[in-house]
Amino acid sequence: MEFYTTAIIQGLAFACMGLGIFLTLKIFKIPDITTDGTYTLGGAVTAVMLTNGMSPLLTLVVVIFCGAAGGIATGWIHTRLKINALLAGILVMTALYSVNLAIMGRPNIPLIDDKGFSNQNIYLVVVVLVFIAVFFVIWLLKTDFGIAMRSTGSNPVMAQANGVNIVYMKVFGIALANAMTAISGFLMVQYQGFADINMGIGIVISGLAAVIIGESLSRIMSYKNIAITILFVVVGSIVFRVVLAFSLDMGMNPNYLKLVTAIIVLLIVGLSNQKFNKHLILLK
Amino acid sequence: MYRKIFFIISLVFILFTTSCENRTSKENRTAPLVGFLDFVQDPTIELARKGFEDALRNNGFSEEDGTVEWIYTNAQGDIPTLNQACELLISRSPDLIATNVTLSTITTVRKTKDIPIFMIVSPRPDIAGLSKDTLSYPENLFGVYETLAYIDTAINMINDLMPDARTIGTIYNQSEPQSVDAFEVLSAACKKLNLNLVSKPVTNSSESQLVTQALLNEEVDVFFALPDNVIFASFETIEKNCSQANVPIFTSESGLVSRGALASYGADFYQWGYQCGEQASAFLLGENVTGPEEVIIRKRIFNPAVAEKFGIEPNELYQPIPD
Repeated sequence: MEFYTTAIIQGLAFACMGLGIFLTLKIFKIPDITTDGTYTLGGAVTAVMLTNGMSPLLTLVVVIFCGAAGGIATGWIHTRLKINALLAGILVMTALYSVNLAIMGRPNIPLIDDKGFSNQNIYLVVVVLVFIAVFFVIWLLKTDFGIAMRSTGSNPVMAQANGVNIVYMKVFGIALANAMTAISGFLMVQYQGFADINMGIGIVISGLAAVIIGESLSRIMSYKNIAITILFVVVGSIVFRVVLAFSLDMGMNPNYLKLVTAIIVLLIVGLSNQKFNKHLILLK
Repeated sequence: MYRKIFFIISLVFILFTTSCENRTSKENRTAPLVGFLDFVQDPTIELARKGFEDALRNNGFSEEDGTVEWIYTNAQGDIPTLNQACELLISRSPDLIATNVTLSTITTVRKTKDIPIFMIVSPRPDIAGLSKDTLSYPENLFGVYETLAYIDTAINMINDLMPDARTIGTIYNQSEPQSVDAFEVLSAACKKLNLNLVSKPVTNSSESQLVTQALLNEEVDVFFALPDNVIFASFETIEKNCSQANVPIFTSESGLVSRGALASYGADFYQWGYQCGEQASAFLLGENVTGPEEVIIRKRIFNPAVAEKFGIEPNELYQPIPD
């Protein structure tokens, strides 16, 4: 069971990033790839601060600010310089590679001597942090400010006509999303015991998978409620990691690992998208 | 509504019951269980695994005869998968875990303090950040490591075979720790020998062509290939550009000599794995194994065809690669 516990903990750690991608993709309708860079940024800052003996709590605060800074850069390039959001994300992600290398000083920093939270505590910390993050996002999206954010994504012209400052909203949204991604980096570095300059490459796929799997699974239940949708993003992240663990457990040739993972995810998403109500009624 | 909940709960139930199989516990095992944790799919690094398997086979542990059980995992270059694969191996309670390349070693050391870890293609523990000084190492760590001292000898090789060379060109990968460390040793060695070092950074194999051409434009006499996955992957491109510019390639990896480098001095990946396999076999046979040891076999080899093209004749210390 320890094996699947790893999958669940990794799923929870990536759930923060999933929440961030949910914010940019589903709420703001902006595809944001800065995630690759901010995830590594969170990890790099964590590794450097922890190996220098700073407290994990202080590290968490700094990580949130660094992630937000990355997001503000993307938001600024997208809104002020009027560059396509995708390209803005790519530019910031590429720039962050050099920034991360400069912060780390070497491509790989291991955390020896169990700096940061120890192995038992990390489970508790992950669960608590994800809980806080989920409830914060749900609360935020139900406030007036949150509804203004959602309207910016849904219909920017109408939102602006109603007096919402969409530039400020977009920048804030992307900053918040990237702050959450950086928290993911913070958790994963402490879990895996090292920070690596390449740890962020392709990580946005995990986040996207979490969001899309979550969305498909939430169709089985009522999905009009934003709180349920957000909870299912966390579920989606966990499901994705468990599927990967399951493919590994099957014990087949490692070369086919990614193909099998893709097929299983396809089955989950494809089956969930079918009209289940009709079939279940027929079973009556 | 209830049907949906029932559906979800039954799905979760099925998932958990199928996952809780009865694995062969340690006491019921007839043959020792060996786990192998690989990080990337790379033909050069695979040689280390082959060496490890061959050494075990030669000492009486082979899968065909049923004298050993293997679990082989490869993380396909993905770090979360590496974590998961490491947990998979640990959950099967193997008698030992062999880790190929540095990241696998670091991950496994972090996750287990009981299962013996035999590392291959990894640097000395303090260089990898696993311990604070050169003499201490984690209790369950064994295997074979490499320091970077061989690079000094590799540079001396250039002085040996091409005494007129003054400028050395190299490309290095900023995102691989062993590449960065090797580059720093290279710079120090060049300073000592009064050689001029020109270098350019590269991040992935698609950039190699452009970077190599930029480097060759700066009038280098010799190209030195560092131990680096990007160089391994794109070596054919580098070799083509260098031979067009009439620049010979020296290296520290013997696998590159058969692909067109002039000469090399360094550890052979196959022998590296073999040495570790010997240590692992000794452990499985119950002999006392002390901690990690340094690579023993390093060879000087050269490529006769390339040497002839550049008009260089290495002395007897150098072994030609077999045709």
